[in-house]
Amino acid sequence: MIDFTQPTPVLLSEERQITETRRELVLNMGPQHPSTHGVLRVRLTLEGEMVVACDPVIGYLHRGVEKLGESHRYAQIVPWTDRTDYVAAPSNNLGYVLAVEKLCGIEAPERAQYWRMIMAELARIASHLVWLGTHALDIGALSVSLYTFRDRELILDIFERFCGARLTTNMMEIGGFSRQIPPELPEMVRDFCRYLPKAIREYEDLLTENPIWLARTKGVGVVEPEVAINYSLTGACLRGSGVNYDVRKAMPYLLYDRIDFEVPLGTHGDVYDRYLVRVEEMRQSIRIIEQCLDQVPADGPLMAYESNYVIPPHERVMTTAEDMQRHFIWVIKGFSPPKGEVYHAVEHSKGELGYYIVSDGSPIPYRMRIRSPDFVNLQSLPYMAQGAMLADVVALIGTIDIVLGSVDR
Amino acid sequence: MRAMTEEQQVPVPAVRKREPWQTGYWGPTDPDEHPAVIAVRQRFPEAFEQAVNFRDEMTIRVKREALREVVAFLRDHPELRYNHLTDLTAVDMLNLRDEPRFDVVVQLYSIPRRQRLRVKCGVNDGETVPSLVPLFAGANWLERECYDMFGIVFEGHPDLRRILLPDDWDEGHPLRKDYPLRGYRDYVQPGFERPAPRVRGSLPRPRP
Repeated sequence: MIDFTQPTPVLLSEERQITETRRELVLNMGPQHPSTHGVLRVRLTLEGEMVVACDPVIGYLHRGVEKLGESHRYAQIVPWTDRTDYVAAPSNNLGYVLAVEKLCGIEAPERAQYWRMIMAELARIASHLVWLGTHALDIGALSVSLYTFRDRELILDIFERFCGARLTTNMMEIGGFSRQIPPELPEMVRDFCRYLPKAIREYEDLLTENPIWLARTKGVGVVEPEVAINYSLTGACLRGSGVNYDVRKAMPYLLYDRIDFEVPLGTHGDVYDRYLVRVEEMRQSIRIIEQCLDQVPADGPLMAYESNYVIPPHERVMTTAEDMQRHFIWVIKGFSPPKGEVYHAVEHSKGELGYYIVSDGSPIPYRMRIRSPDFVNLQSLPYMAQGAMLADVVALIGTIDIVLGSVDR
Repeated sequence: MRAMTEEQQVPVPAVRKREPWQTGYWGPTDPDEHPAVIAVRQRFPEAFEQAVNFRDEMTIRVKREALREVVAFLRDHPELRYNHLTDLTAVDMLNLRDEPRFDVVVQLYSIPRRQRLRVKCGVNDGETVPSLVPLFAGANWLERECYDMFGIVFEGHPDLRRILLPDDWDEGHPLRKDYPLRGYRDYVQPGFERPAPRVRGSLPRPRP
C-alpha cells in the first residue's frame, strides 16, 4: 500500500543514476512509436542529443512463417508469403513460386511471365510510394504522404481488378496464373503508366530541392561501398552507396533480359542518395511495365498446364476423368517435387528477397527459409546511427525501408 | 504424363530456348570444372568433404572447424572474390540422417563476377561453429537468428543472444524438427486465466 501521507520519493532509475557519472541516458524508442514503421523497438544510448550506441530490438511481430512453411503443402504457402511483406505482396509471391518452379523444373508460359513482371513492378512502385510517404512524414513533410497514398490506391485498384484483393493478393500460383487477365486490365495499367510520371514530378517538386529536406537527409547515415557490402546490404541501400548490384540485371529471372532499363546508383551513400535512387527506380519500373505491355502476347496460356506439378484447368476438371483425378490428388495430397535444395532470389522493392527450399521428396517442404531483405538491411542501423543525432535516427529507420512483418517473419 | 487424345490437347506453350545468361549463375555444373571447388579442394584437402550440384546450384560441403577459413579464402581469392554474404541459415536434418544433426548453410555471392556459391557444414547438437562475424559484419544477426531458432552456438560471435523470440524464452529452439508446431504448452493471454480452446478442423455448424 502506498502511504499517501508521506511525500512521494523520487525514484531514480538505473540509467538516471548512471548519468550522474557518465552523462549517458538509455532511451527506448518504440515499439509503439509512429516513426518506427510498425513494432520496431530501438534501445538508444544517448549522450546529450548524440547517439552513442543503438540496439534494434525486433521480434514483436514474429509469427513463425518458416515453421508454418514446414507444415503446409507447397501450394498452401503462397498466402503466407503475402503476410511477410504486406506492402509488396506480389513480389513475395513471385520469389516463392519461382523457387518452387526451379525446384520442380517447370517454367511458366511467356504471357504469364510478362504479367508477373508487370505485377512485380507495380508492387515495387506501391512499396516505394508507401516508403516515400512515410519517410517524408517522419522527417516532417506531411503533405507528400497524402499524394503518395492517393496514387497507391490506383495500383491497389489494379490488383483488385486482377485478383479481388488489395493488400494480401495471393495472385501468383506455381506454374503461372490460374485466373484470366481481365480484358480492361492492360488499359488500366497503361493509364497508370501515363499518370505516374506526372505524380513523381509532383513529389520531386515537394522534396528534391526543399532546403529542409536537404538539411535533414544530406550527409546523414553515410555508408561507404565497402561497408555496405560487408554488411550484406542489398537493394537501394547498397545501390545508394554506388555498388551496382540489382538481381534483375545481375541474374535476370523471368524475362528481364529482354527489357531495356537502367539501374540508378548513388554516389555518397547517404539518406538523400537513397531517396534519389528509389525515386528513379519508380521511373524505371514504369519503363519496364510499358515495355512488358508492348511485348506481352494478347492471347495464350497463363499456366504451365502440361506439367503434373500444377493444378489442371478448371474446364478440363469438369469434363474429363483424368484431370478430375489429377485435380483431386493435387488438392488432397499435393505434389511432390524431387529431393534437393534450391535458392532463388528476386529483386524485391527493399533488396534481394531469397527463398531457400529444401525438399525431401514429400509434398511438404522440409525447410523453407525466407531471406528477407529488410531483416538483413536493418542490422546496419547501429553503424549508421553511430554519432548521429537523435532526430536523425528517425530518418535512418525510414531510409532502410523496413516492414516489420518481413523483418520478423 | 497421361495420354491425351487429339481434341483434349491444351495449347502447349513453345519451350523457350535456354538463354546463355541462364547458365553460369552458379558456375560450371560439373564440380570437377568449377573453379571454387578446385581451389577449395586444393587449399583445404582435409576439410573439403564433397561438392554437389542440383539444378545448376553448386554446394560445397566442408568440415565445420574450417568454415571460417574456407569462407575467408573464397572472399579473398583474387579470382573468386565471393565478397557478399547473402544468407546464413541452418537446416535440422533430424529426419533425414543420423549424424551430424544440423547443416549450417552459407550463401555467398560475388558482386564483381556475378556468381553464387553455397557452402555447408554439418554440426551436432552441442558443438560450435566458427562465427563469420570477423569476416562479414552482416553475419551478426543471421547467426543470432540461427542460434535463436536452432540453438547452434557460433564461437567468436560478439553478441550471441536471442533475436526474434523474447530474451527470457526458455522453451527451446522452435525450428528444430522435434519442436511441436503449437509449442510445448498452451499460451495464456495476459488477462485470461485459461488458455483459449484449441480448434481442430472447422467448427461445427449450428443446426437449424
